[in-house]
Amino acid sequence: MKTSILLFIGLFSFQAFAKDVTMEALVRSNNGYPENENVVLTNIVSEDSFDGEFFKIVKGKSEDAVKFTDDKHVTFRAATTYYHLMKARSYFIEKVKSEYVSNIPKMTIRIEHTNQFSELGHFAHDNLEPQHNNALTIPAGKGFESRGVKPWNMEIWFRPSKRVNIKDLRVNNMAQQEFQVLLGQFRDQIHMQSLNRFLSNVIVAYTKEQQAGAPGPFSQESLIRTVGSSLILEAGYLLMDPLTKALSRKWYWLDTALIPEIIYHEYAHAALSDHLVLSHSTAIIEGMADFFAGQIADSPKLATKIKKYNTYNGKNAKRKQEYMIQFEMQDYANTDFVFGMLWEMKNIVGKDKGLDFMYELRKKVTTNSGIRNELVEGILSTCDDMCDMPFNDKLRILKALNLKGL
Amino acid sequence: MRFTLLGLLLFALPAIAQETVSFQNDREGQSFYYNANKINRALRDFKGEEIVEIYQNSIKGVDSSKVCAYDINKSMSDALIKKSPRFDEYEGALLFLRHWNQLDDVSLKILLDARKVSKTTIEAKDPQNLRKPDRTKLPDMLKVVATFKEKFLKNACYDDAYRNMVGEIRKISDTTEAQLEGLFVEASNKKVITADVYNMLERARAGEVSANFLTLKSYHQKLKSLRLHKPLRDATERSEFVTQKVSKLKVSHRIKLMEQYSDLQIMMMADVVKRLRTRLEAKKVTITIFGEEEEIETITLEPMERFRLAIKLLRKEMKLLSLNTYFNGRSPDYMDLITASYETSLIPAVELKELGGLQEIWNPTKTFWEKASVWIRTFSSVATIAIPAPYGFIPALVLVVIEATVGKGADTQPDDTVLF
Repeated sequence: MKTSILLFIGLFSFQAFAKDVTMEALVRSNNGYPENENVVLTNIVSEDSFDGEFFKIVKGKSEDAVKFTDDKHVTFRAATTYYHLMKARSYFIEKVKSEYVSNIPKMTIRIEHTNQFSELGHFAHDNLEPQHNNALTIPAGKGFESRGVKPWNMEIWFRPSKRVNIKDLRVNNMAQQEFQVLLGQFRDQIHMQSLNRFLSNVIVAYTKEQQAGAPGPFSQESLIRTVGSSLILEAGYLLMDPLTKALSRKWYWLDTALIPEIIYHEYAHAALSDHLVLSHSTAIIEGMADFFAGQIADSPKLATKIKKYNTYNGKNAKRKQEYMIQFEMQDYANTDFVFGMLWEMKNIVGKDKGLDFMYELRKKVTTNSGIRNELVEGILSTCDDMCDMPFNDKLRILKALNLKGL
Repeated sequence: MRFTLLGLLLFALPAIAQETVSFQNDREGQSFYYNANKINRALRDFKGEEIVEIYQNSIKGVDSSKVCAYDINKSMSDALIKKSPRFDEYEGALLFLRHWNQLDDVSLKILLDARKVSKTTIEAKDPQNLRKPDRTKLPDMLKVVATFKEKFLKNACYDDAYRNMVGEIRKISDTTEAQLEGLFVEASNKKVITADVYNMLERARAGEVSANFLTLKSYHQKLKSLRLHKPLRDATERSEFVTQKVSKLKVSHRIKLMEQYSDLQIMMMADVVKRLRTRLEAKKVTITIFGEEEEIETITLEPMERFRLAIKLLRKEMKLLSLNTYFNGRSPDYMDLITASYETSLIPAVELKELGGLQEIWNPTKTFWEKASVWIRTFSSVATIAIPAPYGFIPALVLVVIEATVGKGADTQPDDTVLF
C-alpha cells in the first residue's frame, strides 16, 4: 500500500514537473529551407538542462544533460536534436501506432561526441581515431561492471562536423561516373566521325575527278582538319579528371545534429530496432530508416538545401536509378536506391496504407537481408497480409521492381 | 421399358430444341457502342419497358437453331413502326436494349451489322465496269444463284443462306467478290433471279456477309458451350476492360474474341492465363539438377526470377498455342488470352487490367521520343559526315545524348547475376 501511494505521488509529481521550454533551434520552413526559429521543447523534466521525459541530451561522454546556459554552439545543437527527436517519437506513436516506441526507455543523445562505439566498453578508447561528420544509433549494452562500465540503453550519437578534404574520402560518386561514361562515348563518336570523314574523302578523291587546287585527302590542310577535332577532344578527355578536381568542391563537412532528416533517420533506427537490430549498416536497415525519415519530414528528399551545415548531396527517393548488384554491398549501404524503392512501393499499395505496410515490412526482413531476395520477398509477403487486392498489388509491385532492373 | 425411355427421349427432344433464346449481357460493363443521343432519340417514342417487351416478343418461341438477326430486326422494326409510325431510330432502340443489358455487345453488333446490310442502297451498275465470272462455268453458277430463295433461304437465316450459296459457287469456280458482283448482275439481266433476290444478294455481297462468320445462331451456340464447360463464378460480375477498343480495330476485346475464336480455342487460351496466374502466385520455384539417379543440386529462384520465369513460360505457351492443331498456325494476341480467361471465369474482372499490363514487359509502349530517336539517330549518323568542321561535333553530341537517354534501357547488358 505504501509503495502504491509513493509510486502514485512520484508519478504525479513527475508529470507535474514536466514542462515546456522555448529555445532557438533549426527547423525547415514551408519551402524546405532551414531557418532558425524559437521552438517549444516539451516534456522537459529539468529546471536548467536538456533533460526530458524521453530524451536526455548530453555532450560527448558526459552523463549530465547540457545546461540551457551552456555555450550557444552546444545549446543550439541540443535544442535542435531534442525538438526533432520529440517530433519523430510522436510520429511513431501517433501515426504509426508503435507500441514498441512508446515503451523505449529514456534515451541518452550525445552531441559533439567523437569516440568510436565499443560493444563492451560503450566508448572506445580516446586514442582511437575520433569520429566526425556522421551519426549513429547504438544498441543497448550490458556494460562491464568489473571495469566500471555501467549498462546503457539505446543511444544516438551525433558527431561534430569537421572540414575534411574530399580526396581523403572514399566517395561513391555515381553521377560523376555516369558523366565519365558519357564523355567516353562522345569521344568514341568523334574519333569514329573523323575516321569516316577521312575514308569518305579518300574514296571521293579516287573515284571522282577533283577540281584544280582542291586539297587532297592526304594534304596537310585535310589531315589537320580531320585529326584536329579528335586531338582536341582527346585532350579534353584526358584533362577532364584534373579539371573536375580543380573546379569541384574540395571540402566536406556534415553537422548531423543540425540536419532534421538525419535526426529522424537515426531515431527511425531506434524505432525499428525491435526487428532490425543495430549491428551494422546495410542497404535494408538504412533504406528503411530513410523511408521513415522521409515520412516524418514529409519529403522524398533528405538532407538537402542545407549547405551551411552540410556539403553532402543528400538523398532523393525520386531519383531514377536502376538496381546494381553493388547495392547489396556494405560500401553502398547509404545510397538512396532502397529509399526510392520503398517510396515507390508506398505509392503502389496506397498512400493511406503505405505507412502501416512499411512498418509491418520490418518484421519480414532482417538487418542482414539482401535487396533482391529477402526484401522483395518481404514486400510480397507483406502485401499478401495487408494489400486490399493482393494479386493485383503484387503484380504492380513486381512490374515496378522489374522496371527498376531488379 | 426401353420403349418408354425412347418415348420420353423423343418427347423431350423438341423441348430441348425449343429452349429460350437469350443474349442478356452477363460479362460486359459499359457498352462499346454506348451512344446517349441515339438512346434518347429512341426513348422519345417509347418507354424503355415497351422496347424491351417488343424485343422479348421478337425472340419468344424462336428455336435456338433458327435464331436469325435479320428476322429479329424485321420483327422488332415492324412492331415498333406499327406502334409509332414516325419512329426512325431503330439503332437507338438496339443500343437501349444493350444499355438495359437485354443484349451484350456481341449480339448488338450482329444485329447492327444485319440492320446495315438490310438498309444498304443498291445502285445501278455499269456492265462495262464489272468483272466477269469464269465464262466456262457461268451456266453452272447461274443455276446455283437461281436456287437462292428456294434452296438456301428456305431453311436458313439470310446470312447463312448467302454464305452457303457463295460456298457452292466457289466449289464450281474460285470466284472473287468482284466476280460475284458481275455474276449477280448477269443473273439479274438474264432474268434467272428477280429484282428482289438480286437486291438481297447484292446487299449481302456489299455488306461482306460471307466474310463474317459470327451469326446470332453461331454466337448463341458458342456462348452455350462456354457456359456449359466453364460456368460463371459470379453472374453479376462485369468488366469495363473487355469492352475497351482493340488497337487498330473497330471492335472491343470481347467482340474480337467471339468473332475470331471458337469456344474450344477460347477455353484453351484461358487455360494458358490460368497457368500464368498460378505461377505468379507461386511462393517458391526451384530448379533441380539430377545426376544418374540422385539429385545433385537444387537452385531456388529469387522472387524477381520467379516473376520473369512466369512471363517466359507464358510467352512460350503462347507460341506453342499457335502450333496447336486447333489454332492452325494462328498466334493469339495476349489481350485475347486475357479476355478469354475472363470469359471463362478463370480470372476475375478486377485482375484483368493488371494482368493485361504484363505485356508491357515484353512489348513496352514506345514514347514519342523513343519513336523520334530512331529518325534522329539516322539523320545524325549521316550528319556526322555531311556537316563540316567545326560543327561536326553537334550530331555526334546528339547521338551520345540519345544513347544516354532513350537508348539506355534497350542497350543494357544482360545481368549475369540473375537466371531469368
